[in-house]
Amino acid sequence: MSWISALGPLQWLLILSIPPAVLSLYFLKLKRREVAVPSTLLWRKALEDVHVNSIWQRLRKNLLLYLQLLFLALLILACLRPGWSGQNRTGERRIYIIDNSASMQATDVSPSRLELAKKKVRELLSDTSTDDVGMVIAFSDRADVRQGFTQDRNRLQSAVDSIPTTSRGTDVSEALRAAAGLANPGRSSFDNLSDIMVADAIPATVYLVSDGAFGDLGDFDVGKLKIEYVPIGQAKTNNLGIVSFAVQRNEDKAGRLEAFARIINRGDVKVEFSASLELDGKLLDASAGSVDAGQEAGLLFELTDTEEGKLKLTLDYEDAFLVDNVAYAAIRPAKQMNVLLVTPGNTALETALQTSKVQQIASVQIESPNFLTYPRYQSATVDADFDLIIYDQCSPVQMPTSNTLFIGSVPPTTSEDTADGPKIDSWKFGPLQGPAIILDVNRNNSITQYLEMASVMIVEARTITPSESGTVLMSSDIGPVFSVAPRGPFQDAVLGFSIVQSTAEGSSRNTNWGTTRSFPVFVYSAIEFLGGGITESSSPTVQPGWPIGLMLSNRFKVFKVVAPDGQTTELTRGDESRYTFTKTDIPGIYEVFAIGVEKPVESFCVNLFSARESDLEVAEAIKMGYEKVAATSATIQARQETWRWILLIGLGLLVLEWIVFNRRVFI
Amino acid sequence: MAKLERMELVSRKIFRGRMKGERRSKRKGQSVEFADFRNYVNGDDLRFIDWNLFARMDRLYLKIFLEEEDLHFYTIIDDSMSMDFGEPSKFFVAKQIAASLAYIGLCRGDRVSVSSFETSASPVVIRGKSSAHRLLGHLESLSCVTSAVTMAESIKRFCVKNSGKGIVVLVTDLMNKSGYESALRMLVAREMDIFLIHLLSPEELSPAAQGDLKLVDCEDGDQREVSISAGLLNRYQQTLAAFIQQAKSFCSKRSITYVPARSDQAADVLVNEYLRTKGLVR
Repeated sequence: MSWISALGPLQWLLILSIPPAVLSLYFLKLKRREVAVPSTLLWRKALEDVHVNSIWQRLRKNLLLYLQLLFLALLILACLRPGWSGQNRTGERRIYIIDNSASMQATDVSPSRLELAKKKVRELLSDTSTDDVGMVIAFSDRADVRQGFTQDRNRLQSAVDSIPTTSRGTDVSEALRAAAGLANPGRSSFDNLSDIMVADAIPATVYLVSDGAFGDLGDFDVGKLKIEYVPIGQAKTNNLGIVSFAVQRNEDKAGRLEAFARIINRGDVKVEFSASLELDGKLLDASAGSVDAGQEAGLLFELTDTEEGKLKLTLDYEDAFLVDNVAYAAIRPAKQMNVLLVTPGNTALETALQTSKVQQIASVQIESPNFLTYPRYQSATVDADFDLIIYDQCSPVQMPTSNTLFIGSVPPTTSEDTADGPKIDSWKFGPLQGPAIILDVNRNNSITQYLEMASVMIVEARTITPSESGTVLMSSDIGPVFSVAPRGPFQDAVLGFSIVQSTAEGSSRNTNWGTTRSFPVFVYSAIEFLGGGITESSSPTVQPGWPIGLMLSNRFKVFKVVAPDGQTTELTRGDESRYTFTKTDIPGIYEVFAIGVEKPVESFCVNLFSARESDLEVAEAIKMGYEKVAATSATIQARQETWRWILLIGLGLLVLEWIVFNRRVFI
Repeated sequence: MAKLERMELVSRKIFRGRMKGERRSKRKGQSVEFADFRNYVNGDDLRFIDWNLFARMDRLYLKIFLEEEDLHFYTIIDDSMSMDFGEPSKFFVAKQIAASLAYIGLCRGDRVSVSSFETSASPVVIRGKSSAHRLLGHLESLSCVTSAVTMAESIKRFCVKNSGKGIVVLVTDLMNKSGYESALRMLVAREMDIFLIHLLSPEELSPAAQGDLKLVDCEDGDQREVSISAGLLNRYQQTLAAFIQQAKSFCSKRSITYVPARSDQAADVLVNEYLRTKGLVR
């Protein structure tokens, strides 16, 4: 028991003067109504026992007075603010970090780990005193501050209640950094170096409510944070999960697809399981297998006569964690892009476009430079019929509405002012000079990453300096000779030297690149990159919550993404050719539709695929740098204030007093 | 009135009257009721010799008859201020009772005396039914008086002035702070047949007062501060019961007939039914 006075000395003087005042009030005569009675004889006799002849007798057996004095005593006691085990001062800060990663959906505890975690936090909240401030952070693979510091317990409760389930992975460090940022503030001003630690570090207690599926936290500095780890979940929970599922084309057998899945057993016993594979909702194949405790097993499905569709693999095994028992993969629709090659004649280029690889992804239309003047070309460029137009030794009057690759020619620029229409801006093209030797190839770019240009000789070339947002892909001894730059939603690549030099007399080679092995690779890469091509048979897959970058055809301006739950998100083309989609919270297959096109132009999958999340084992302790935080029972060693109860009893007394006064109860 | 006329005052004792009345007396005298024979002695009234017996026995016997005398009937009404309470007031009811009883006495030719404490020294004595208006007029003139003549004192005066014996009906609320015991003892000592009609108002029997009150005694102005509570009322009832019980036992020990009465009870009911069972009237 400890006492904290809630009043100052003057206030104490005031409050202590009340009991004598009440006592003196009892000595004062009450103003009573005068009533004439036949005789006070009987009254006198009745009053004889309570008859007072001294002040102390007057106070004897006056229940009302006793009750009033008792009430006052309680009031004074309440002002002393008695409490138990007073370790903490008022206004303690508590941070509740709640794991809502995928593994918290496990139902090994009823109703689920997340619900249990919420319940525990609610219990913790109800244990806190009203002076304490609390903060609620939910974390999966990112931190989500659900409620900033507040004393309002209802807001904290509702923040806890509103934490949704996610299928994401686990990364607690961000949440801890958010918590630590408050408890261990850094320097606020970098201009004034004398200003160090402007804010006092505020110690805070962190309640980390999680199943601990986030591994060690490395050298995380907890500083003034006091971390209490509240484990959620049952120890030794068995779980079978899919950690990988992919579709590949069989290299040996043309037209055959193979679906490969990896199953992990996070339990103590060997598990027999069966798995069913569905294509577009219809059962396609089923397989049975077994996996030893703690081991992984593979599953292989051969798919014949399947060109596209949505695959769903389900493990027919009941365990506490169902999210990882399902995996999705989408077989990419065989899609071809339209490529227009405008050339006066270029054998090397035409040969490179005839390779089977290129044929698989693109249909190539070859035209002479005269084609540029045809109305068919005009309408085609306006309607964006082509994903990529390659201008070899020629250039259009105005830039088309598609990606372009200029070989040995320069695109129309505003400086030339030859015609109306869109042109490229702020590129710099040098005069032809030679010879040139390629010195450097940009390995970070998809077009040039596999190119080997060491043996390439060039008769003459011009320097190509792209606009500010562009990238130099090849540099020679005379300067950059191959660059790529965005033009609104489109990409323009300009190669500063031609492969062959076609003249009226015939054509002569300008470089030996056309005969080297790297040239077809260059052409394929350029078509794949600039045509927005997709070459893999399996759609990309990401973990829930992670963003996915989508390379989509530039023929369409607006796309919509349909999530597995039917929710539609519109993607509008910005200034970038690459789309980033972030609403990937629900596992399943997402389809991208172009406006006006029935079939999806692209699809991708969101799968959990996390061996860590599939591991339902509850960590008994978490390691934080050199510190090890053991699991604690979720209790708060807080000052249990009793003055409210005393006040409550006082109020009860007041009611009793009222009853006594009205009912004339006498002792 | 007709009912009252049929009634008769009954005394358990036989008293000597002053005048010839309708009551048998201890004294032998002239009446129709035969009492005894005795030997003739010289000087006896020859009129009372039983000549039939002389013829049979040849000796002179004198027939003795019971003397019929009148009954002295005294009614004393408490006229202290405490009697002025109640609706109707106790004093009014007391006067009604006194009038009823006195009228009965008048009808039977008894000597009726009505007085209050104040006038106990000079009571109005009336006789005969025809004087009933005098009785009523006198009762009418009585009123509660503030001058505190204590019960004991007035009874003492009464005893001094009225030497005759008879029935005394005392109508009082016994609310006398100096006590009623000495007064009653005095009456007992006079060998009177005493009836004590203890008249209490409903306000006294079950007070309806509430709250913090200052009770003022209407007689002596005594003030009592009370906070009426269930407990206090309870205790009042206990005190009242004890008070009544005390009076009752005091009376029964001294052969005084104690008759409790309520002022909200009609006087004729009291006289007709209650006093009849108590044996005062027949």
